Amino acid sequence: MLPQLLFSFWSFSQSSIIQGTVTDENGIPLVGVNVVIQGTTHGTITDANGNYQIEAGVGSTLTFSFVGYLSESVAVGAQTVINITLVPDVTQLEDVVVVGYGTQRKETLTGSISKVDGEEITKSPSVNLSTSLAGKLPGLIVNQRDGWPGREFLDILIRGNATMDSDPDYEPGDDDDPNDPFDVINPNEPLVVIDGVPRDNLSRLNPEDIESVTVLKDASAAIYGARGANGVILVTTKKGSQGASVFNFSYSYAIHKPTKIPEMMDAATFAEAYNEAEWNRQGRPDTGYTPFFTDEAIQRYRDGTDPILYPNTDWPGEIIKDYSYLQKVNLQAKGGSDKTRYLLSFGFTDQDGNLKNNPTHYKQFNARARIDVDLTKSLSVGANMNAIFNDRTYASQPVDFVGILQSNPTLVAVYPNGLIAPGRFRNNPLLFDRGGYDKTEDYPLYTTFTATYEVPFVKGLALDASYNYDLRNEFQKWYRTPIYYHEYNVETGEYDRMITDNPIELRDTYRKWTTSLFNFRVSYKTTINRDHNISAMAGIEQQSWKFSWAQAYRKNFVSPAIPQIDAGSTDPEDKDNRGGAAETAYNNYFGRMNYDFKRKYLLEFVFRYDGSQVFPEGKRYGFFPAVSAGWRLSEEKFLTNLPFISELKLRGSYGELGNDRVPQWQYLQSFQFGDNYVFGGSDAPGVFSSVLPNTNITWEVSKKLDFGLVAELWDGLLGTDLTVFQEKRSNILWRRNLSVSHVFGFPALPDENIGKVDNHGFELVLNHRNTVGDLSYSIIANTSFARSEIIFMDEVPPAEPYQTETGHPVGSGLYYKTDGIFNTQEELDSYPHSGNTRVGDIKILDLNGDSVINGNDRYRTNQSPIPEYVFGLTLNFQYKGFDLTLFFQGQTNAYSYDYTLTEFGEQDLDNNAVYRATNRWTRYNQEGATMPRADSYEPGATDFFLYDATFVRLKNAELGYRLPDKLISRIKLKDVRVFVNGTNLLTWAKEITWKDPELRSGDFTEYPPLRIINFGVNVEF
Amino acid sequence: MPVLLILSSISCDRNILDISPQDRISDAAVWNDEVLINAYLASLYNAIPHGFFIHMYSKYTDEAYNSAPCCCAELFVLNTYTPDNISSMGGLSTEENWCTNFLYYWDRGYFYLRKVNVFLEKMEETEFELEDKEKLIAEARFVRAYIYFELIKRFGGVPIVAQAYELGEEVEFERSSFDECVAFIEQDLTEAIASLPDRYLSTDPNYGRATADACRALLSRTLLYAASPLFNPTNDQQKWQKAADAAEALLDKGYSLYPDYQELFKLSHGDAQDEVIFSRGFTTSNGHQAPMHNFNRRYEAYGGWWGSNGPSQNLVDDYDMVNGQPPFLENGTVNPASGYDPQNPFLNRDPRFEATILHDETVFRGDTFEMWISEDGTQWGYDSYKNTGDNPRTNYVLKKFMPTEGDFNWQTIFTIQWPYIRLAEIYLNYAEAKFELGDEATAREYVSMVRARVGMPPLPESLTGEDLRRRIYNERRIELAFENQRMFDVRRWKIAINIENRPIRTLDIYKDMSTGIKRYVEVVLLDKSGTYEEKMNLLPIATDEIQRNPELTQTPGW
Repeated sequence: MLPQLLFSFWSFSQSSIIQGTVTDENGIPLVGVNVVIQGTTHGTITDANGNYQIEAGVGSTLTFSFVGYLSESVAVGAQTVINITLVPDVTQLEDVVVVGYGTQRKETLTGSISKVDGEEITKSPSVNLSTSLAGKLPGLIVNQRDGWPGREFLDILIRGNATMDSDPDYEPGDDDDPNDPFDVINPNEPLVVIDGVPRDNLSRLNPEDIESVTVLKDASAAIYGARGANGVILVTTKKGSQGASVFNFSYSYAIHKPTKIPEMMDAATFAEAYNEAEWNRQGRPDTGYTPFFTDEAIQRYRDGTDPILYPNTDWPGEIIKDYSYLQKVNLQAKGGSDKTRYLLSFGFTDQDGNLKNNPTHYKQFNARARIDVDLTKSLSVGANMNAIFNDRTYASQPVDFVGILQSNPTLVAVYPNGLIAPGRFRNNPLLFDRGGYDKTEDYPLYTTFTATYEVPFVKGLALDASYNYDLRNEFQKWYRTPIYYHEYNVETGEYDRMITDNPIELRDTYRKWTTSLFNFRVSYKTTINRDHNISAMAGIEQQSWKFSWAQAYRKNFVSPAIPQIDAGSTDPEDKDNRGGAAETAYNNYFGRMNYDFKRKYLLEFVFRYDGSQVFPEGKRYGFFPAVSAGWRLSEEKFLTNLPFISELKLRGSYGELGNDRVPQWQYLQSFQFGDNYVFGGSDAPGVFSSVLPNTNITWEVSKKLDFGLVAELWDGLLGTDLTVFQEKRSNILWRRNLSVSHVFGFPALPDENIGKVDNHGFELVLNHRNTVGDLSYSIIANTSFARSEIIFMDEVPPAEPYQTETGHPVGSGLYYKTDGIFNTQEELDSYPHSGNTRVGDIKILDLNGDSVINGNDRYRTNQSPIPEYVFGLTLNFQYKGFDLTLFFQGQTNAYSYDYTLTEFGEQDLDNNAVYRATNRWTRYNQEGATMPRADSYEPGATDFFLYDATFVRLKNAELGYRLPDKLISRIKLKDVRVFVNGTNLLTWAKEITWKDPELRSGDFTEYPPLRIINFGVNVEF
Repeated sequence: MPVLLILSSISCDRNILDISPQDRISDAAVWNDEVLINAYLASLYNAIPHGFFIHMYSKYTDEAYNSAPCCCAELFVLNTYTPDNISSMGGLSTEENWCTNFLYYWDRGYFYLRKVNVFLEKMEETEFELEDKEKLIAEARFVRAYIYFELIKRFGGVPIVAQAYELGEEVEFERSSFDECVAFIEQDLTEAIASLPDRYLSTDPNYGRATADACRALLSRTLLYAASPLFNPTNDQQKWQKAADAAEALLDKGYSLYPDYQELFKLSHGDAQDEVIFSRGFTTSNGHQAPMHNFNRRYEAYGGWWGSNGPSQNLVDDYDMVNGQPPFLENGTVNPASGYDPQNPFLNRDPRFEATILHDETVFRGDTFEMWISEDGTQWGYDSYKNTGDNPRTNYVLKKFMPTEGDFNWQTIFTIQWPYIRLAEIYLNYAEAKFELGDEATAREYVSMVRARVGMPPLPESLTGEDLRRRIYNERRIELAFENQRMFDVRRWKIAINIENRPIRTLDIYKDMSTGIKRYVEVVLLDKSGTYEEKMNLLPIATDEIQRNPELTQTPGW
């Protein structure tokens, strides 16, 4: 009221009183917006409800300006109410950031929070949204471990591994049983919240729908208390805004191929290596040795004179397409009146597989409808509905890259006349389009309904409610039919048509997940004496999650014509069915209080009281508080004299968070059906208990401490954001497997709250933004470091002190230390070695000096496949209508072991990489050999095959051109932009040169990530 | 506003966290339900490892040429097993250990021992009325005895655990002596016998459960092991006497040798026979794929994975000629009295050879098997190792346990039973014990009874002393081939140091394409010399397990 009084004497004869509300793009009232009559110094600011009142003459112009938002000007006509929605200015540092259950302006942020805008993400043509996040957000580690269309596997971590995985058999991506929701739980995974609901489809969202992605890395995640310990990824989708309708259409077409296919041995080299191995197995006889492949045969493999009997098959070359396509169409319409705002979005993605004669194909439809309506002045409601149709098609026989890369090159893939040969096991991948398919229709529907009520009697008090219901239906049809192929008959010289004798089999699986989440919040916001800004929010949330599945199987179909269960044999022995169900729930209370003085001294308190059904009664609830504070030095008088400082802020936070990512029911002694036996001629049912109960199981606790410095200097020429953090994780749910003797005979031990891990690191962002003439450009560099240390894990002291896992980062492996290979008999004789080691084998160092090579000579490396340093560098250039973005991503201090390289020349006739074969030890290449012999002996994993996984890659590049307005306005278009972009364009790897350096540790036979080159156009009208 | 309040009252559920599991049963329910108690007992039988997992134990010894390049079995190619890697041959569940057949039985054994002990304790506590409680207890004790036997034959004396510990209890386990373990087994079995029926006919719905005769048979085998050189260094004759008595106890129980040796290994539960005393049955819903794992590539099978279960020449050479003479003398030269023709090696052999091993020119299921290679090396038969790595390199394929009719593909679940203990073994146990007690005549008699079933002539009375012992050993090798016995037999006889250091051999078959004449050339496939050490007669305990138990001693020598 005070401003109104102050300015009330400014009255003109033709002036009237204008009033209205200023809100942000989410409809939240903006407090303290400057409202000025253009060309004068007369003005006012909005009150705690975003309301203003000003006297202005007809014909004058009102300008609304607010830090972090684009200014708006409105001409005053006959109207007396002017409501304004200010749009955030994304080019400025002071933008709005989505935090848990709300938004905050970046300037008053006290937590360690990174953010990326949707626009940035769409510059990557990847189908998988998560891969587009790699390198974009300091502190977020994204590694793409394989590239299967529609089911790419990614490791996503925030600040690395801070807890331990008590299931040692867990292999990333090895989802053995899709019907067991707890089969694979990585306890280090962050919580992903999409539009306020923990949801698991991040990778499959339409990038065009994304408004922003925020990562809560520090104690500010305590508002997600129990599940926030590994950090939280908050995804916010776009919504409509008031204004004329905007219609946006984009189309892009891309070609893609795997980034790197390991070069495999040709038939002649393969045959030689196999012979070498066999010679070793037969005791290295000087004479009397008959090689498996004769010299003559090897010669024929080499000269290619007989492609039928002595082929030289390049299997990857035969099977992997030179390139395949990917196309995307997006349509988006948005707009709104002063009462209603809408956004409609449709996206279609069509990705072809990279293998010839293979049904692998991925289609994705995304549809989103969002509407927000102001029912009354104080009540508004909204709905946000998102349907995703994922259609994944693969071959009925899983083709893995093992089957392609390791195929025996002395077998024919395709006969010279074009007929397809059986390959090994009649498993030639080129036949797989003949043997049925494995189709999954995965149709999740995500719905959110919101209501906001601004209590009219109490200014600043608002009530929010949301109800979310997600329904995901998945139907999988696995259909396998016999495969026909041709085989060359040596005796007749004919190609016999053959058919595999497997029966026709069909397995239909139906899976259904439902999640319902209800959320109710009260918030209050006020300003006292202009300088004291206070806001508070408290809420309650309940979530329940259910899963069920059923499966039907039949075999011995009379004909392959009808792939339906009923068409199968009705013999009981040919039928099978299975099914199951699971459910879980959460109940919690949370709140936040913010106080700031003149936006200079900032204080925030958040809490969550969280209940998880994973734990027994009495242990279910946990309280997770966090406090954070900031000091904006740039607002202090003593610094305002330094004009080059636009922003300088110190911040710190401390809090406790929880983690409950462990299997359910560990507190119950219970039995499951199974472990059947047979008495007489029939099955006798069995029961078994798979785990001992732990009746005291409860939350894992994480204590996080962060300090940060944010600076913006010389008006954007240099910006920096530095965060250092420390985390202490305790009560880690960990199994005592290491210390409990197996003589006790316990089944799997339950998780107990015993482990302790420390984690520390930093994140640094540097940015530079400038304009020189018509060229404006920006450089944003970020790097982050995180290192964990196991403090306690119930480890039995190992034989040698250098083997302890305690004191090392999570995931550190145990390896034999090596020093090249034994090149000569003298070298071998003069150094301790195990009885099976021969000349040409890897030289294992006798670490403990006891002259015996055994497990005690293994040492614990500090190295895990999870990188300690990750970095990203974004370069943006804008020149007239052209824009260019280059984005580099990299990592270091990550190590990757490759056991596939150890299996060389063995009886299974698997091929191996040229890298492994080059300069290997043979009886004719001894002294200078650097690689071990064929069929080499290793007592276990050695650091010989442990590689530094450092790499830098040009992850994305985009060149765009915006057609001149003159041109497009003639055809009634608002904006037309054509672009070409690419992903994974260039890679430099330090040691891992024979495969993509990002592949998961272990082997090189994964489906590599894709290199994509994409052409597109974006039209707005 | 009222809308919000209504919404919140509908949605807020005070008991939202009170969920019961939908896929499991509570502990209390199990022990108060006769069906579930029986189900618990049924699952205990899975403690006893059968031989139909992917790798048969044959490839861990000289019955087969182990060409497995990976997946645990490779540890036995050149005896590279150590305390550091042996646990990769173990694991608790079948899924964890799908390939190794629980050779490292330590974890699995104690895991099931606890289950048995829980059962026995619950049976003692419960007031729930059970009609045949004593019988159920006896069955559990039989399983417990079997587990201990499986442990001691691998590790020697092991810690005896006769109660179920709870999490958090502090116990320092140490090994009991081998003899103490045998005494424990003996006690379980003796007491179980009292509460069990002698036998169920093989057509009975209960066939496969523990019986008094199964207890006696297990006792016979256990006591034979206890008397053997590895476990009886002083050659205590009383131990041989006990072994002989235990075998003798089964001689008059109405069992008889099944007339057809080959047919015997294709029987399922429910098929009439009087030979198998204890066996593991299978059904189509609880069956195995052993034929597909072990047969060669012809029916898309894997030959034991990478052809790694191909019978070795070492075994083939040990089949006598039909005239009763071994084809080779002790020094390895051809026995002139046998009539063996190296260029006609498969002619006139002990019929068990044809019943067990499939070779070049064998007609099986209407197909003639061809393992030859042309003299110039450019052509080969369909079953030759040259054709695919899933045809065993040895040019031999396992025939025992292979169905001669019905479907033979990966979609078929096979129900052929696994014979744990059969009368022929009891005869051989008896013969061996009697021989060691000096009763050579009885020894010859019982070996000859086993031979007589396939029409082989009896052992001549001139056969005596060390020669007779060798023939007794050999008879066991032949009769029980591929039944997971050889590996442990050569160890308990302490002859493994010789056997396991011998090269694995085969015959390569070269065919002159113009004349069709075949030539047989012996080749060494795997030089194993110096890889087997005396300490390997018993398996080491995994390094971690030793570290967890300060009082537990490692197997001697390891």
